[in-house]
Amino acid sequence: MMWKVRKIGAIVLGFLALLFLYEVMGEGAWADSSKCLTCHRDENLSKKDKQGNKISLFVSEAELKKSVHGGIACTDCHTRILDDSHAKKGVKEADRKVDCGTCHERSEKLFKTSVHSIKVHIACKECHGSHSIKPLSDPKSTTFRTNLIQTCGACHPEESKQFADSVHGVGLSRGRPNHPTCTTCHGTHGIKPRSDPESAVHERKIAITTCPQCHAAEQITREYRFTTQPVKSYYDSFHGLSYRGGDTFSANCASCHGVHDIRPSSDPKSMVHKDNLQKTCGTCHPKASVNFARGKIHTLADIKGVDIGEKVVGWIRIIYIILIVTVIGGMTFFNFTDWLRKTIDRRP
Amino acid sequence: MGKKYLRMTLNERIQHINLAINFTILVITGFALKYPEAFWVSPITDVPLGMTFRGFLHRLSGVATVTLGGYHLLYLAFTARGRQIVIDMIPTWKDVQDLWETLKNNLFINRPAKVIKMGRFNFREKFEYFGLIWGTIVMTVTGFILWFKEEWLLFFPMWTFDVARAIHFYEAVLATLTIIVWHFYSVIFNPDVYPMNWAWINGHLTEHEMELEHGLELEKIKASQEKELKEFSEAGPSGGGRVYPSHPGGRERFSIKDLYGAIQDINESVKNWKGM
Repeated sequence: MMWKVRKIGAIVLGFLALLFLYEVMGEGAWADSSKCLTCHRDENLSKKDKQGNKISLFVSEAELKKSVHGGIACTDCHTRILDDSHAKKGVKEADRKVDCGTCHERSEKLFKTSVHSIKVHIACKECHGSHSIKPLSDPKSTTFRTNLIQTCGACHPEESKQFADSVHGVGLSRGRPNHPTCTTCHGTHGIKPRSDPESAVHERKIAITTCPQCHAAEQITREYRFTTQPVKSYYDSFHGLSYRGGDTFSANCASCHGVHDIRPSSDPKSMVHKDNLQKTCGTCHPKASVNFARGKIHTLADIKGVDIGEKVVGWIRIIYIILIVTVIGGMTFFNFTDWLRKTIDRRP
Repeated sequence: MGKKYLRMTLNERIQHINLAINFTILVITGFALKYPEAFWVSPITDVPLGMTFRGFLHRLSGVATVTLGGYHLLYLAFTARGRQIVIDMIPTWKDVQDLWETLKNNLFINRPAKVIKMGRFNFREKFEYFGLIWGTIVMTVTGFILWFKEEWLLFFPMWTFDVARAIHFYEAVLATLTIIVWHFYSVIFNPDVYPMNWAWINGHLTEHEMELEHGLELEKIKASQEKELKEFSEAGPSGGGRVYPSHPGGRERFSIKDLYGAIQDINESVKNWKGM
């Protein structure tokens, strides 16, 4: 008994010792930041680059403390600053770059494959900000879902503007939790150009994963009171069937509904508004008549359907299934008796 | 025994092979669209532009089948043999009785089994032939609606297009299953003809086969032959079919040599062909 109590005591003591050690080490790391900030808290601190542009070297201590990295030291990111030249106020080229990949290994690896890294050579801070980085869940973060329109819009202003006015963008700005933002379709670190088959918005993926990830999701469709019928019926339409077989000439979701500027069909600016439908269909079917714009497109065969086409096709299905079962069943029965009789007659 | 009875002329055999090839292409390329993820569709979906080529091939075969149908109508109308086919193909009450009696034979209700003598086209063949005509008409009409949707939608509302799609699909299922269940039983799995009824290649039936499936026709031919012998009329048309001289070997069961015979037969028919 005594032995057991002592053992527990030892474990508790060991744990406390570790905690103390951790605190001391943490405290030690803190100290560095204040040293840097003695100079960098000066709002007028700046330098001139090769072109002679003035670059501010000010770091807001308050912002840094509030950021998600507030707990780590300057030198954890600016690893190569602690050299003699910096101490002598010299300029060192390599120092400017912060290697986020030291900690964020996976994101860095993924980002290296993206179009942003390969084509335009932008760095993490372009999207995430630098000293005031916030976690993704913080509404003040540059990468928070509603802020992405501005963040991405800095370089993609046209797309952002279109998206902000779309049915997705309007819902997003109202703060609806499941409404899509840029990254919902395009992905995050590993964004690829549209022409890349790996891209999340490649034409072979649009109608398989990109749109159906929400529009075929039972939970989301139930919550926002729309149906999965468009996806289901598309998959069974000529467009959808041929698309599923790999036909790239066949229409996918974006062919008719647009890309960034998707609007509800009730909106007169929508590509699928009844006044624009003939033009939209006319992109591929140049001889499209007014009848293209009339009647429901995303129909599912159902005798209790709203649309007359749904009802008629529903009845045709029932009639044909009865016909097929009767005729083929009858034939099978008749042939089976025939085969049985002839086989019996042939018994040795 | 030993006699051969002409069942299909070379012209008819070519029509049949033509239909068989086009029907198979239509079935494969058609169901490949409906079930694009099925394992057997991968040869189509795995190649670039496979699906586009599939559509093209489907329409091409469709046109070929419709053309063949048109040719068949001309053949029926403008050849003596064709007109005889039309007359022999008319469904009669006897066909219903034959079917009923066959079923009763098969189920051992008729004891002993009745010998059923059927005409040149028995109820099996008539049923299938009319099924084929019905199916071709339905598939042609709905197929052309699907092909020329823009023109169709000039005059008809959108939902009629969906109706045409549904009918085209279900009729295809019906037609394919009919061929597999009914036709393939009649000419392949039927123990009387297994492994195959060779008429579609060599064009003739044996006397035994005639007895089993076209007893009435056989009697008719024999009666007219007897008459011919009495009247010494040379090279006159004999009933619904020509009489071939008996095979020198007098063999009836299938042997591999018959395949050579089939080719010889085609050659002979080509040589003797005097136009339609």
